[in-house]
Amino acid sequence: MGANKPPFLGFGLGLRPQHYAEILDGSPDVDWFEVISENYMVEGGQPLRILDQIRERYPVVMHGVSLSIASTSPLDMDYLARLKALAARVDPVWISDHLCWTGVHSVNLHDLLPIPYTQEALDHVVQRVTEVQDFLGRRLTLENVSSYVTFGQSEMSEWEFVGEVAARADCWLLFDVNNVYVSAYNHGFAADDFLIGVPRDRIVQFHVAGHSHEESHIIDTHDHPVCDKVWDLYRSAVAQFGPVSTMIERDDNIPPLADLVDELDHARGIAREVLGRQRLAAAE
Amino acid sequence: MTSLKALQESFQRGILAGDDAILSEVKDSAKERRNALFGVYRNAYVLRLAEVLGEDYEHLHAYLGDSSFARLAKSYIAAHPSDRPSVRDFGRHVPNFLKQDAGFAKHPELAEMASLEKALADAFDGPDAEPLGLAELALIAPEDWPRLVFKPHPTACGLVFRTNAADIWSALRDENAPPKAHVLPEPQAILIWRYDLMARFRPLGPEEAMMWDEAASGTRFGVLCETVATFAGEEGAELRAATYLKDWVDMGTLARCQVAR
Repeated sequence: MGANKPPFLGFGLGLRPQHYAEILDGSPDVDWFEVISENYMVEGGQPLRILDQIRERYPVVMHGVSLSIASTSPLDMDYLARLKALAARVDPVWISDHLCWTGVHSVNLHDLLPIPYTQEALDHVVQRVTEVQDFLGRRLTLENVSSYVTFGQSEMSEWEFVGEVAARADCWLLFDVNNVYVSAYNHGFAADDFLIGVPRDRIVQFHVAGHSHEESHIIDTHDHPVCDKVWDLYRSAVAQFGPVSTMIERDDNIPPLADLVDELDHARGIAREVLGRQRLAAAE
Repeated sequence: MTSLKALQESFQRGILAGDDAILSEVKDSAKERRNALFGVYRNAYVLRLAEVLGEDYEHLHAYLGDSSFARLAKSYIAAHPSDRPSVRDFGRHVPNFLKQDAGFAKHPELAEMASLEKALADAFDGPDAEPLGLAELALIAPEDWPRLVFKPHPTACGLVFRTNAADIWSALRDENAPPKAHVLPEPQAILIWRYDLMARFRPLGPEEAMMWDEAASGTRFGVLCETVATFAGEEGAELRAATYLKDWVDMGTLARCQVAR
């Protein structure tokens, strides 16, 4: 498996329409872009034109929000066909989505809903990941989500569940540093336990993002700059996992591109500090 | 143990219908009660979709104001759970919803403004096609013109408005005070399409609208000229038809032409 692991891409940003012109007119210091797959599952026009232009200049990864891999409703084959067609156009370095479900009975709640960490759910998710990977003809990358509730019936920790899915379904993992921080705070586990508990050879990407603190719980809003505690966890993650393609994820209250490039530089700086300039350069 | 399927159904009912049965499956945290924690999902659902509607129907939102638009969003979200992977499609029933809702239907300009915003959004990322150019038309031999048929650009779409919704919408887009809503003396045809990556619209006069409908359904140019002659008099009919056609080509509303056998 190791020989096929996707390459280290460096430090990237989510592609957002607010920044299209600045990216294409200038050459921001961004190594790669992540695109929200569903935003480009359209027939034509500006979104696909821009995506083609970005793709000519930068490596791109596709990140979906509607795969609903843990749903007990049948897989949406029309969605998967469109995802596969988009991948054929974009040739992404990898395709990711979330380890969650988004609805049942053809409803999409447009949220990343939590899974009970049970053997039943594990078997179900592994089966679905295998089917999706067979259909797409490539491995999926799955991201841990922020959650606000835990289920009484859970039989294992989130990191055990995530690790088992990756091992049994033979998929990659996107380690969302902010989501680990949020869920650790909300559910009272130690973020370091998650770090140590997931298999490092499966992790191909980091997300780093901001959140909203509500005192009794934290909500994963992606509308703030990354806070110091998440940067601290990022530092630990780099130390634990080595060079991993890193991305600042901002979805709301989107600042000028330069602000995000500055945050990305901060991530670069941390990775250099932890890994040493040479090791990071060698990975790049 | 509740099955995964039953658990997900209960979770979904908890969000969509406010059903509290799911609370027996989730736990309090050390810092917060389960009801408040599950409430994060309930609140996020409504907030997220209301935000999507506000973005997709930006000028309708401005026209209605925050509180009326919030009322529309709340009742629409309750009536139309999303059933598509992309939130882009969530608001597609808003024009019909406004037509059918007893309160909103008293203001017919609302549904028409919504249908215009939706049509523009659809044109924005609709299928690509090279627009028909004048150079291609110049290659058509004069004797073939009567048999010439046209294919509209795939993003082209026609609407017919009973109110001055298009003027209200344009005023809001230009950040001007919108005119007072009124019913027009005659219905107004509107053509929406994309050219040069921008979604556009244009009102059509009655004769041009008739010729557009005929052309879009594959009627030959010779017959188009005859129908124009029937519509507003034979004198200058061919010139009028040719002028409409040239305007359409200039604006990029056509994709192809061919000589019918």
